Amino acid sequence: MSEAIRLEDVSKSFGEYEAVKDVSLTIEKGEFFSLLGPSGCGKTTTLRMLAGFEIPTEGRILLEGEPVEDVPPYERNVNMVFQSYALFEHLDVADNVAFGLKRKKVAKDEIRKRVEESLELVSLADRAKSHTNELSGGEKQRVALARALVNEPAVLLLDEPLGALDLKLRRQMQVELKQIQREVGITFVYVTHDQEEALAMSDRIAVMSDGEVVQCGVPEEVYEHPAEAFVAGFIGVSNLMEGIVQGKDKVKLASGQSVKAPLPEGCDKGEKVQLSVRPEKITLDDFERGMVTLEGTVAERVYQGVNTQVTISLGDGASVVALEQQTYRASADDRWEPGAKVKLGWHPDHCLVLR
Amino acid sequence: MDGLSLQWYQEFFNDSALRDSLFASLEIATVTMIVGTILGTMLAIGLVRSRAKWSPGANILMLVPLVVPEIVAGISALLIFSQVGLTLSIWTVVLAHITFSISYVTVVVRARLASMGTETEEAAMDLGATRWGSVRLVLLPGLWPAIVAAGLLTFALSFDDFVLSFFTTGEDVQPLPVRIWSAIRFGPSPTINAIGTLMMVVSISAIGLALLIPRLFGRRESGVKVLTAAEGG
Amino acid sequence: MRADYWTRFLIPPGVWLLALFAFPLMLVLALSLGYVDDLGRAVYGTDWSNYAEAFNPTYLPVLIRSVGYAAATVALCLLIGYPIAYYIARFGGRYRYALIAALVVPFFVNYLVRTYAWVALLSDEGLVNNFLVNLGLTDRGIQMINTPWAVIGGLTYGYLIFMILPVYASLERMSPSVIEAGKDLYGRPFRTFLHVTLPQTKQGILAGSVLVFLPAVGDFVSAQLLGGPDTYMVGNLIQDQFFAANNWPFGAALTVVMMLFLSIWMIGYLRSASRDARGAAI
Ligand SMILES: Nc1ncnc2c1ncn2[C@@H]1O[C@H](COP(=O)(O)OP(=O)(O)OP(=O)(O)O)[C@@H](O)[C@H]1O
Ligand SMILES: [Mg+2]
Repeated sequence: MSEAIRLEDVSKSFGEYEAVKDVSLTIEKGEFFSLLGPSGCGKTTTLRMLAGFEIPTEGRILLEGEPVEDVPPYERNVNMVFQSYALFEHLDVADNVAFGLKRKKVAKDEIRKRVEESLELVSLADRAKSHTNELSGGEKQRVALARALVNEPAVLLLDEPLGALDLKLRRQMQVELKQIQREVGITFVYVTHDQEEALAMSDRIAVMSDGEVVQCGVPEEVYEHPAEAFVAGFIGVSNLMEGIVQGKDKVKLASGQSVKAPLPEGCDKGEKVQLSVRPEKITLDDFERGMVTLEGTVAERVYQGVNTQVTISLGDGASVVALEQQTYRASADDRWEPGAKVKLGWHPDHCLVLR
Repeated sequence: MDGLSLQWYQEFFNDSALRDSLFASLEIATVTMIVGTILGTMLAIGLVRSRAKWSPGANILMLVPLVVPEIVAGISALLIFSQVGLTLSIWTVVLAHITFSISYVTVVVRARLASMGTETEEAAMDLGATRWGSVRLVLLPGLWPAIVAAGLLTFALSFDDFVLSFFTTGEDVQPLPVRIWSAIRFGPSPTINAIGTLMMVVSISAIGLALLIPRLFGRRESGVKVLTAAEGG
Repeated sequence: MRADYWTRFLIPPGVWLLALFAFPLMLVLALSLGYVDDLGRAVYGTDWSNYAEAFNPTYLPVLIRSVGYAAATVALCLLIGYPIAYYIARFGGRYRYALIAALVVPFFVNYLVRTYAWVALLSDEGLVNNFLVNLGLTDRGIQMINTPWAVIGGLTYGYLIFMILPVYASLERMSPSVIEAGKDLYGRPFRTFLHVTLPQTKQGILAGSVLVFLPAVGDFVSAQLLGGPDTYMVGNLIQDQFFAANNWPFGAALTVVMMLFLSIWMIGYLRSASRDARGAAI
């Protein structure tokens, strides 16, 4: 694989306000790459710099090796799918899709063929002559997608393309988008603030916070090994427990217990750290060798269908959440009643020490 | 009764001076509509989009003609024309009418522009349209209902205008309202009612079209909306 | 996007307005300090005597009268226009637009022709007096034309629509639930109107008042056709200076004085309008 996009120390300021700070990324050809982060963290601004609507205040942007910071949007071989769709209301579906090809003066027959193909790709072949305001939200989204893809760009930029759709349609479109991406093999840069969506669809994810990229990696890595407390908290649910380093691979929790935990390089004795453990990695009353075990009191139990969510108080105000699968062991409903003493445990490997 | 009033229409069309006035008024209104609509639309786009420091100043300059009494406008136009030595004719009337139509067009077009956002133009540029291309292919088609409505409004205002025309017209061919004025002052004449009715038909057709045309474009909103959007802010 | 691209759209209309609107207004200001030379030509100068004359006892009353007539016109327009707008907005239902259209259509009859119709109605041998005499109510008819009320009536008829439309727009924007809430609070309809509806339509009333007042002060058609020398307004005076007396500098000075009388209204309206524009742009 070779690289499609490289950002080198890119920053963007609006007056005093620095929306994007020192971002460096490399995106490979054919990758499904997601920018994930909370509202206002600079995802759209980054995407708009890739499209050419904003010029970076500092840094370089290379598209297939060529610097493009100063190339206007209409001369860049990238296309964008806007969150609001931005369809041309005065044109019908086919003319919307043909817009880019017409600007490139592609021959008429060729245009007709390619428009047909890309409408086929998004399963809208029968709506070619429809007026855009007769379409549903999902259909508009597909037109926007076809309108961009028909140009066969080097990179497709998508800014929360599913943001306006209801949950069910969203799930369905996620699957479709992923399929389409595999089929056309174009590099996708996908902006979202929905971590599940990013995890499900991406080859790699860059997590942004406050204009900076705080972690970049494959979904498993970002989920299992969050680099920072922010990432652990933003992606999935995580139990964060305060503690103090006691010695080699030993942490004393604020609630009093000492536990075994793999310390990162260079942690000194007495340093304050946070332990992060995912709820689904915590088991109750059922242990294997080598697990860390603690005692606690059940504070709350919520039946969620597939899982049961148990909140356990560790004393001194600290508590953790555990998700227990509804296996044969968990089915008895007299277990983990609030107030009951309970033993909980996890594998030291599943516990992350964050500084 | 019918026969009687028809007679005045006949008289009207047999009077070559009156006929010339009618055509002069139509000509003035048409040129005003075209030039005023172009300039007013440009001003609306510039005011909404430009970040130039003096853009707020241009905004005030645009609004003042809307509040200045017409007689003041007429006098200032008369002064500038005599200052630069322009002979008064229907062309000086046209210049004065255009000056005042710009603001009306701007107010109507700007209301729609402000509600449009920039994303569709960005989409056009993203798809390979140059900046001017995005204006021509996306922005103007989006503004079209407002532009047409504003143009027809301008036509009606110009066709109906008396005060500005009175101050800026020459002696030879006078616009219809100026001719009505002299007729009234020379004494009662039934022809006036015929002229009045005729003018009303022209104006109402223009306004009726202004209200209808946005619908013909297949937009859901009516022309009333397009025109009152400016009023409502 | 780069700002300078859009600035080019401002330049042609901006230059046009500067050259044919702003600069000519300055000319009016300059000429008001001029005088008429021995050959009867207007000459620029630095002579304040035109202003002194404008405020002398011959002309000052005309200025005050104009403002008075215009104020009376605003009051009448409000008294007639508000109830009309109110009933259309509240009770017009789906016929609202049709009713508004029916109101607007007569206003497309040229203002001159409409005013002329009043002459035919109100003159000493006009329809109304004919009718009254035929009924035997008076023997010589009542003088209606050449009175202040005829002039004010003409102005009211001329500019009524400028009051109805903004008031209607502001009533239209008001949600019916506000009135319902008001009814709960105040009970009686009149008090609801006074405490809820009226304050909510203040914007519309103000806009309408300015839109009627400004052109009414400068009007010369109504006073010319429906009035006489005793009811002349400043517009007639100005027009005379330009077309009869041929004293352009004095006409310019009168124009400037009239603008001064109006400036508070104009500036107030401009400020609210440019605020609205900024709001709309965001
Ligand atoms: N043109 C602009 N002028 C000034 N500030 C801007 C501009 N565009 C964006 N910003 C600011 O930059 C910050 C980042 O904005 P951006 O749109 O990139 O966020 P985002 O991550 O896309 O958020 P969201 O998920 O809400 O879309 C925000 O605080 C925003 O207010
Ligand atoms: Mg965004």
